[in-house]
Amino acid sequence: MLANLQGAVDVFFQLQNFLAIAAGVLIGLFIGAIPGLSAVMGVALVLPFTFHMDPVTSILLLVGIYKGGVLGGSISAILIRTPGTPAAACTTLDGYPMTQNGQATRALMGALYASCTADLVSNICLILFAGVLASIALKFGPPEFLWLIAFSLTIVIAISSGSQVKGMISALIGVIFSLVGLDLVYGTERLTFGNLNLMSGISFIPMLVGLFALPEILEFYHKRAQEHSARALDRSKFTLEDYRKCAPSIFRGSFIGVIVGAIPGAGATAAAFLSYGLAKRFSPNGDKFGKGEVEGVCASEAGNNGVAGATMIPLLALGVPGDVVTAVILGAFTIHNLAPGPLLFQTNADIVYAIFLGVMFSSIVLLIAGRFVMKSFAVITRVPGELLMPIVFLFCLFGSYAVANNLFDVGVMLFFGVIGFAFKKTQIPIAPFILAFILAPKFEDNLRRSLLIADDWTYFFRSPICWVFIVLFVASLVWSARHEIKDAKIDRQGPQS
Amino acid sequence: MKLTVKSLSAAIIASTMMFPAVSAADEWPTETIELIVSYGAGGSTDTTARKIADILSSQTGESIVVQNFPGAGGTLGTTKAAGAPNDGNTLFLGQISSHGIAPAIYTSLQYDPVDSFEPIGRVYSVPNVLVVPASSPADTYEELLELAKSEKLTFASSGVGSSVHLSGELFKANTGLDIVHVPYKGSGEAIPALLGAQVDMMFDNAPSAIKHIQSGAVKALAVTTAERSPQLPDVPTIQEVGGASMSDFEVQAWFGMFAPKGISDEKVAEINKALNAVFETDDFRDFAVSRAATIDGGSPEDLRAHVANELAKWNDVVNTAGIPKK
Repeated sequence: MLANLQGAVDVFFQLQNFLAIAAGVLIGLFIGAIPGLSAVMGVALVLPFTFHMDPVTSILLLVGIYKGGVLGGSISAILIRTPGTPAAACTTLDGYPMTQNGQATRALMGALYASCTADLVSNICLILFAGVLASIALKFGPPEFLWLIAFSLTIVIAISSGSQVKGMISALIGVIFSLVGLDLVYGTERLTFGNLNLMSGISFIPMLVGLFALPEILEFYHKRAQEHSARALDRSKFTLEDYRKCAPSIFRGSFIGVIVGAIPGAGATAAAFLSYGLAKRFSPNGDKFGKGEVEGVCASEAGNNGVAGATMIPLLALGVPGDVVTAVILGAFTIHNLAPGPLLFQTNADIVYAIFLGVMFSSIVLLIAGRFVMKSFAVITRVPGELLMPIVFLFCLFGSYAVANNLFDVGVMLFFGVIGFAFKKTQIPIAPFILAFILAPKFEDNLRRSLLIADDWTYFFRSPICWVFIVLFVASLVWSARHEIKDAKIDRQGPQS
Repeated sequence: MKLTVKSLSAAIIASTMMFPAVSAADEWPTETIELIVSYGAGGSTDTTARKIADILSSQTGESIVVQNFPGAGGTLGTTKAAGAPNDGNTLFLGQISSHGIAPAIYTSLQYDPVDSFEPIGRVYSVPNVLVVPASSPADTYEELLELAKSEKLTFASSGVGSSVHLSGELFKANTGLDIVHVPYKGSGEAIPALLGAQVDMMFDNAPSAIKHIQSGAVKALAVTTAERSPQLPDVPTIQEVGGASMSDFEVQAWFGMFAPKGISDEKVAEINKALNAVFETDDFRDFAVSRAATIDGGSPEDLRAHVANELAKWNDVVNTAGIPKK
């Protein structure tokens, strides 16, 4: 172990590694901040430039982009209501209202400190518990996934409070759109109308860009004739008191991110919503969520950044990528003729530990780079709408096209822009739509896999993990029902008092 | 004589004027080459394309850009490649799916695997490996068959229509065993299911299986190629252990370079020569070894014949397995 650490120190402490991490984080921040250009795209774009680098330098460059990209996604989510990356979709819910309330800098700094905390927690978990977490993740079979997703779906209730019926309508529409594409078991087409472009389902990033950004642009031109005033200079601050207040949500979100990230295929977007939903339930400020509450931004960002380090767990411990970005990073290992997994710890322990040192260092770089870069982005709030909106629209077009170099995706973005505008006008919340769109296919897939594998119904209750999530699922429903009844009583008694 | 000299002079002038024109038309490469990949970045097709592009670019001195056009099980990118300019500056890294399995499954393909492309050359082939979790009671192929006769077994795949899935279907058809197919979305989900013993077996691609075999997380019972894999010399082929019913069982995931139809024969020959030069490099050989791959190389005709065989074979498998055409 000591010999490995000594070797890792020798491998890691090279100027090029520090530069790679710094460059990676900065590239990630910029790419993540541009709507439609996700962390995965950043990593894929830079991949060819890493062929002639040392393996550790190249991996650290890509990891830096990944971490910067996830944080960068929150910048456009907060400032222009366009999630730079899918994982930042949840951050728009409170981040953008904060910008509208003249608290853009507070929101950005809240996102930064929550992200860095979660990133650090995630990295520590990666280094200390990779083996244990990976073995727990392997115990997640179809029934365990099924109950986890069932529990996560109850979050729909939390994030639609105040308009349960509209929330359910939104979720239902999300489920319908999630059905588009090839059926998992038989491979037959569903709702594709014979269109080849819809065979893989609706492209998520163009859909998100359309749902969030386009309605803002339409709204701007719709209202411009009536009213438009320049926004006040943003001098808001994220204070130590804010951090203390948000700390429970940040740490809860960090651990949710770690657990979700360690399970291959679970996803950062789901982690952000889960973290947000639970924060809303347990926070004394829960009622203010969705209206510009900094704790909502912190919860969401802690959730998605908690995933960033943890998705490296299945990659390094098992050799299995936890998500699309780590799949590209696996490609980088392959290019260097390295095979991540348990054997890498034996054959190239110095490389693994050097990567560990690098990811820890990346947390510091993320904090420093974010501190300087993100604040300067707040200048966007001072750009006149007449100039900003066409630029945002161009980014939307470019970002949607760039996902798969496909013009069809631009059409998808425009289509969902109209849907998003209709949602806005009818005050139907978007969050339940997105959560249902992400989780419904996972629920269906795992239900069908369970039915294929099961010999009898006991299969659905086969393990302690199943029971943990069944208890959480039932408790969540009961808690929501009690909350609703209480609210209804207050509403009824209100006019009498 | 005067006429003859004049004619000769004219002929010489004409030929010297024509020579550069002809050579310019057939010269390759003349500008940045676009190498189309029909899957996302990071996957096996993408990393293979990037490796080839990297070496080819250093050999030819011309930039080669890998362009990913993912979607619709790889058929979107293949369609895009089929409609690309046929001047030799756009190439396509096809594989078992685009030029073998997809045409057998999809009825609405917007490209023809034979008529839309000009084969350039085979790249490499990798075996699939029949693997079971470390905790499986079966230690050999024969024991697995016995187990399958006594209880319900399941096999994972990276999705309907993947070579991993169709290997399982071919196995079922040849053995007559009823093993339940459990599809996952990509190998990133299927492999953890196997490692965690959520399913009983899988015909995984060797590059991803090999590290799990070496670490002891899974047991390899047989490879699906006619010859044993040099990286897994102790693992028998299915033909060796499967008896008469498996005498012609052979599945390998393969890659091949194509150009859009209409490219000149001279350019095909030129690109084929450059491609085979890539295979001679230590860099590519090491890369292939790390992926348990066997470099195929060879002429455009070799790839053409291989595609014809694959199309016929997977059509049969899809029909025998009763996989619905889409």
